[in-house]
Amino acid sequence: MAGTGTAHLRNAADTLLRVENLVVEFPVGRTGLKVNAVSGISLDVLRGETLGLVGESGCGKSTTGRAIMQLPRPTSGSVSFEGKELTSMGGDQMREARTRMQMIFQDPISSLNPRRKVRDIVMEPLTIWKRGTKADRDQRVDAVLEEVGIDPQRAAESQPHQFSGGQCQRISIARSLVLDPSMIICDEPVSALDVSVQAQVLNLLEDLKARYGLTLVFIAHDLAVVKNISDRVAVMYLGKICEVAGSDELYRRPAHHYTNVLLSSIPVPDPSIAVQRHPIEGEPPSPVLPPPGCRFHTRCPAAEDRCAAEEPQLREIGDGHFVACHFPVHGGDAPVAVRSSSSAG
Amino acid sequence: MSLNVSQAATRDSGDPLLELRDVKTHFRTPRGIVRAVDGVSFTLDRGKALGIVGESGSGKTILSRSIMGLLPPKGAIRSGSIKFEGREIGNLGRKKMRDVWGKEMAMIFQDPMTSLNPLMKIGKQIAEPLKIHLGMDNTSALATAERLLQDVRIPEAHRRLSQYPHELSGGMRQRVMIAIALACGPTALFADEPTTALDVTVQAQILDLLEEQRKDRNMSLILVTHDLGVVAGHTDEIAVMYGGQLVEMAPTRVLFANMKMPYTEALLQSIPKIEDPSHTRLMAIGGRPPDLVNPPRGCRFAPRCPYVREKCENEMPPLEPAESPGHVYRCWYPVGSPEYLEFKERNEQAAAAGADVPVAIGGAA
Amino acid sequence: MTITADPVLSAPPPAPADTPTQRPARRSIKLGMWVGVAWLAALALCTLFAGQLSFVRGYDTKLKVGGKTGRYNIGPGTRAWMGTDSSSHDVFARCIYAARITLTIGVLATVIGLVLGGVLGIICGYYQGWADRLGSIVTDSLLALPPLLLALLLVYRMDDLNKEYSWLHWLTREWEITLTLGILAIAPFARIARAQTIALRDREFVLAARSLGAKSSRVIAREIVPNLIPAMLTVAVTGLGILVAAEGALAFLGLGVQRPLTWGKMISDGQRDLGRAWWATIFPCMFLFLTVISFNLIGDRLARRFDIREAAI
Repeated sequence: MAGTGTAHLRNAADTLLRVENLVVEFPVGRTGLKVNAVSGISLDVLRGETLGLVGESGCGKSTTGRAIMQLPRPTSGSVSFEGKELTSMGGDQMREARTRMQMIFQDPISSLNPRRKVRDIVMEPLTIWKRGTKADRDQRVDAVLEEVGIDPQRAAESQPHQFSGGQCQRISIARSLVLDPSMIICDEPVSALDVSVQAQVLNLLEDLKARYGLTLVFIAHDLAVVKNISDRVAVMYLGKICEVAGSDELYRRPAHHYTNVLLSSIPVPDPSIAVQRHPIEGEPPSPVLPPPGCRFHTRCPAAEDRCAAEEPQLREIGDGHFVACHFPVHGGDAPVAVRSSSSAG
Repeated sequence: MSLNVSQAATRDSGDPLLELRDVKTHFRTPRGIVRAVDGVSFTLDRGKALGIVGESGSGKTILSRSIMGLLPPKGAIRSGSIKFEGREIGNLGRKKMRDVWGKEMAMIFQDPMTSLNPLMKIGKQIAEPLKIHLGMDNTSALATAERLLQDVRIPEAHRRLSQYPHELSGGMRQRVMIAIALACGPTALFADEPTTALDVTVQAQILDLLEEQRKDRNMSLILVTHDLGVVAGHTDEIAVMYGGQLVEMAPTRVLFANMKMPYTEALLQSIPKIEDPSHTRLMAIGGRPPDLVNPPRGCRFAPRCPYVREKCENEMPPLEPAESPGHVYRCWYPVGSPEYLEFKERNEQAAAAGADVPVAIGGAA
Repeated sequence: MTITADPVLSAPPPAPADTPTQRPARRSIKLGMWVGVAWLAALALCTLFAGQLSFVRGYDTKLKVGGKTGRYNIGPGTRAWMGTDSSSHDVFARCIYAARITLTIGVLATVIGLVLGGVLGIICGYYQGWADRLGSIVTDSLLALPPLLLALLLVYRMDDLNKEYSWLHWLTREWEITLTLGILAIAPFARIARAQTIALRDREFVLAARSLGAKSSRVIAREIVPNLIPAMLTVAVTGLGILVAAEGALAFLGLGVQRPLTWGKMISDGQRDLGRAWWATIFPCMFLFLTVISFNLIGDRLARRFDIREAAI
């Protein structure tokens, strides 16, 4: 998986976000070693599109999301948003640019300051930027709170801990909406929630996206969730992109062996389907010393000598379907999990 | 909470391993009495796997802890009977429970990091219970520990004995927790959301491991989770909990093929399916779980149920047996009944008519 | 804690509830706090309204026996509850008046340490990098020197400065001791503020505020500081106790304030005649002891209430 390369980037006029060769490294204490959290990935997102970033913990998907926000700034690479290069921006310019893109985090409770009233938390972006008059701001906050399903009256009186996890996530969403951003980066927004609440939040995001014409970058480890909400999906492994495709296409014809493994690991809520697994042993290697060549070759069921020696580049194998693999899964070999089942649904 | 439930749920001859009768666990709080578990009865046979499924606040975790005797000593009011291997354990004190823990029942938790002692080597953590419960000496305890690590598929088991928890990945730590739980050969293993903190590929590995160990050791497994997908492939029976009560219980295949309780159906439908095209609208359950201090008078799911009728709001439905053996449910108008179908059609028409669906709002109260 | 198959030991606490071993301890801590609050409240009331209270004699009132004053002329009893001191003053009244200056010094020194240490710690923790290294050098050197030695040096140096520069005439002994104790308190406050800031800085709500475009100053003021308050308050209360005791120690070494009394001064004055008139030493000691322990009891309770680990303090 390794895929470096930019073959999958589109040259569309309405590209909202374009990330090229993004690298993020963290030093490991004073050892001189570094964590290769993100190792040269490229992405683009068109206006109004939802891009899903999926992978296991440690694959760098959250780091990518934060590096796009320049929190912290990436080690190298370019991030261009609404036609402006973010990596070279100064502090004040960057603060301004951040109002156009917002972030929602995984832990709904930890992303709200426990010592402030919920309404003030949602008001905060408007206060920072001194938008409109006091009355305008009040009106805006009430409208957004109503829209995400939180009673403004209660929000004015309560602190975050008085709300449930799902409601806190709604509050986070409200806060990210008040400045009218063009893009929202959702970092595992539903993985801390129960399935029933997760469905509410996902539906809410879809509705808001349609209403505000938002562009979403949706980061998650749950492939079923990512497929549900995304137009296009990028699968990441150990700091690299292995496969990019339209979401239905990706799930219908996964080309990368890792995608295949991920898909077949999803628990199927139907005992009558005997899932044929593509099991892999073990867990991802350390990002401090990533394997040479294709980073997945140490666990790949189809690995050959070439995979350890030569890093595969992303190349197109179908309409808008790109894979970084020397020996991709052949078409038609869809994972068994993707079968129409009678009872589910 | 009628008592015929236990008969309904008992299919096989011979003594069940675990038998619960009208188990209630309430907590005294400043707000009033929280009915966390409110009259649960079921039986579980030796060597079987039971999934307990429900949202947070459904009482599933408190139920499993009530069985294990792991409740906080203060404020808990317990009643009902819990029989384990024919012996009443519901009223045993902590001291007596110590003999049961480890040897007969063991538990693994959601977060493998906080459940392991960070300052103690893996080998010692596994050997400790062997020495305490089975009276092994140090050498044989460590040898057993190494074999246990091999059993849970930890590579280089010998080297791991002298490692500390932080040197292992999350999945490996959960394997160590399982090894510790298996150490004294328990007859029942309780797993409370054992894979929620893990990645999908690791989750699949751990679930497979649990199933394999259960079969090898003829041990019962109680898997507590909020995800119906997790239990579908790895259990023999499923108990669905809502608002502190058992609302449906059935053999796994029967449940998925023929679920009766609208809540079970809603729980299943809220999971995004991988085979659905992207942007398929999910069936969310509106509203929030009931307040267990003042639970609804009738069916506890009534305030959120799309098929609710007047009777549901006023009278609590009893647990009733369904056609297939071992299947019980708690609903006046179960899935498939004429009343259910009538309202389902009505709901579908309403959804079609109000094409401009407003932003879904759950729990706006 | 050891991990065994015994699930109680390996279990995360199932609910916010007490285990049996904790309960009596927790109850006694709660009780201890109220005892502390009661003592401090009574002391504060007596001190503030000393002039109006009939049972507190005047600061300069001398008690006479047979029309004459005399050293330690009255022992503890009904006439003077805690006896009289070497110049026939009522020890009880003097203890009350001494509380004024003792507590003022303690509170002011705590405020100095809290503000300076807090600012230093927040800057170190939030910005890290060279700011942190510089700040750490300051706190480490403050901690490395023996505190008593540092205090002696500071007080003597300020004495000199006071004499040298006329514009420093306000720098009386009280201010010298206050400043000295305040400086000594910087390092512990800075340490805890830094540790807490580092923990908070990576929390998602801080990240969220930054992603909204908030300036660092706003992030610190709105997101970090409010969350620091419980910890800092706890340390401040415990620290207040320590500083009150430290003032006593300094007075004992001859670095007491001159005219208005402090408990430390009373103890150091009285101890020469401990054999003859124990009351002139023991009662101020008792006041000091009860006050210090009250602050500690309250601090303990606050620490538990806000779940602040002692290691951090």
